[in-house]
Amino acid sequence: MVDETAGAGARRGLAIELIPNCSLTPRQALGFFASLCVVSFAIAGFFVARGLWPVLPFAGLEMAVLGWALYASLRRRRCTQTITVTDEAIEVVTRDARGARTESFPRHWARARLVRARGWHPSRLVIESHGRSCEIGGLLTEEERRGLHSRLRHVIGGVNESPALHAAPGA
Amino acid sequence: MAHHEHAAEHAHHDEKPAGIMRWLTTTNHKDIGTMYLVFSLAMFLIGGLMALVIRAELFQPGLQFVDPGFFNQMTTMHALVMVFGAVMPATVGLANWMIPMQIGAPDMALPRMNLFSFWLLFFAFMLLLSTLFLPGGAPAAGWTLYPPLVLQTGDAFPVAVFAVHLMGASSIMGSINVIVTIMNMRAPGMTLLKMPLFSWSWLITAYLLIAVMPVLAGGVTMLLTDHFFATSFFNPAGGGDPVLFQHIFWFFGHPEVYIMILPAFGIVSEIVQTFSRKPIFGYEAMVYAIASIAFLSFIVWAHHMFTVGMPLAGQMFFTLSTMLIAIPTGVKVFNWTATLWRGSISFEPPMLFAIAFLFLFTIGGFSGLMLAIAPADFQYHDTYFVVAHFHYVLVPGAVFAIMAAVYYWLPKWTGHMYDMKLANIHFWMSTIFVNVLFFPQHFLGLAGMPRRIPDYATQFSDWNMVSSIGAFGFGLSQLLFVYIILKAAKGGAKATAGVWEHPADFPAGLEWTVPSPAPYHTFETAPEVK
Repeated sequence: MVDETAGAGARRGLAIELIPNCSLTPRQALGFFASLCVVSFAIAGFFVARGLWPVLPFAGLEMAVLGWALYASLRRRRCTQTITVTDEAIEVVTRDARGARTESFPRHWARARLVRARGWHPSRLVIESHGRSCEIGGLLTEEERRGLHSRLRHVIGGVNESPALHAAPGA
Repeated sequence: MAHHEHAAEHAHHDEKPAGIMRWLTTTNHKDIGTMYLVFSLAMFLIGGLMALVIRAELFQPGLQFVDPGFFNQMTTMHALVMVFGAVMPATVGLANWMIPMQIGAPDMALPRMNLFSFWLLFFAFMLLLSTLFLPGGAPAAGWTLYPPLVLQTGDAFPVAVFAVHLMGASSIMGSINVIVTIMNMRAPGMTLLKMPLFSWSWLITAYLLIAVMPVLAGGVTMLLTDHFFATSFFNPAGGGDPVLFQHIFWFFGHPEVYIMILPAFGIVSEIVQTFSRKPIFGYEAMVYAIASIAFLSFIVWAHHMFTVGMPLAGQMFFTLSTMLIAIPTGVKVFNWTATLWRGSISFEPPMLFAIAFLFLFTIGGFSGLMLAIAPADFQYHDTYFVVAHFHYVLVPGAVFAIMAAVYYWLPKWTGHMYDMKLANIHFWMSTIFVNVLFFPQHFLGLAGMPRRIPDYATQFSDWNMVSSIGAFGFGLSQLLFVYIILKAAKGGAKATAGVWEHPADFPAGLEWTVPSPAPYHTFETAPEVK
């Protein structure tokens, strides 16, 4: 999902927040997982109490896989990106499991480029300037990524262009 | 110009590897759904051939074509192939295709695990079918694998146990994928109580699978250790009890029946509302009814074991708890009927199969109520009445619902309308022959004919002959089904996005908002849920 907020002044500029769509919060996921564990281990316990202990390791293994699956799916929540466009610079803050990283580009000399999808690989959107580049919107859907590319072209312009921020549609 | 660029990007985005590598390495939910459906159709034909061997042998009394040992292998393998290879994978295939489209997700939550679970199932069935060629033949103790009989299986025993483990692992991974997809990948605005009933029925089915599969895995592992490692879980000589295995098996086996039938409930709900041009009557009641049936399925298992011997209190409990299932099931049948009431009904093939389901599944439900009464069950147990009962639940129940689903969603999958005339012929042939096949088995059972026998007393001859004619008629009808699918896959009239007529005051589900055939990547942008 792409969330956009315009800053109070030109110095603060325009902030675009990129967040993945998750319909489950970590707290809900934990509650959901716990409820499934209670049912599964209650059933396994019932059989263990009658001496049929081999049911238990299978229940444990299954719950471990379910827990991992929920974790893997929820891990997407942690991956967000904030793109802040001011008169002078474009700042990209990427947050993921490895922490937060910030990259900055001079707005006047930067451009947003969309590398088209090829085969199994989705399209890639990059901001680049002076031989450096930074991928953005990797967590978005194709349509959202194309929309973001179009928006950034309006806001950043091409190389050697700095359209007025307040003139950019939606700013 | 900009528009053209955009269109070109779109076309490029739909690009995908071609040839065999597409099917071996794909993680796309539609490709995997197609693979599951094709696999289940192949297993349906193989399991059907086994059924025809059984019915050919039973066409008249005496031993005609096969020896009793092979006959027992056929009854066992027919059940295992149909339950684990045909019906379950078909519903998993439908789930793969339709759940992401119905909840507005771009794909399943764990695409690589999705692919892995399919190939695991494929490998499991290659193993299971290979047991037919091993010394001693395939397992012949019935799909229930009761000890001590199953321990007499030849070289096939460990292979079959391994295959059951792999099938279970595949089912568990499929269920986990469905649960995580539905819980975490619904489009914004798609709350749980806005989900289509097919997705709801699968969410509850996945819960059931997760709850009972470790029990089956533990059970067959104990069989293995009893056979090879001198444990005595089920061996009375070492202090074990073979009846315990029956409890374990049916604690898994009864919910397993619901694992096959709950997705069918979801499918029929979708179809009845579409072809009645009315929203389903009592949506929330339908959800709660499915959940209640799932819960009750955990506390009825011993009704399969009345004749094994249990205290009177146990018989009373399992009789009453089984009868309780009639209440939520009645709610569902009432709501389907109420949806039809004053609807603008039309009878396209999916609706015909759904209506047949309504009548014929109810017959299976009623005979189930008869079997639930412990003193009556002493009479019916292990007779052809039981065979008739569960085949009415599973063939015109689960299998008809799957056929209805194929006819309902096939234009969405292929982009072509299928041959309606042939589909109608397929429906009438299937419905007539399925009754010719299974209805006489009620009479045979009530007259006392035991199940799982290759030969029988001459007084059972007439109805067995009728039943076998029905079996061959039903089997031949399914070749028409295969032809209709292949013909639609190759070409035909172009299907629209909506395919069926959806009235303006009853908006179609999300799957009907995307073009037909559904694009390789369905929702490139999150859809709007009203």
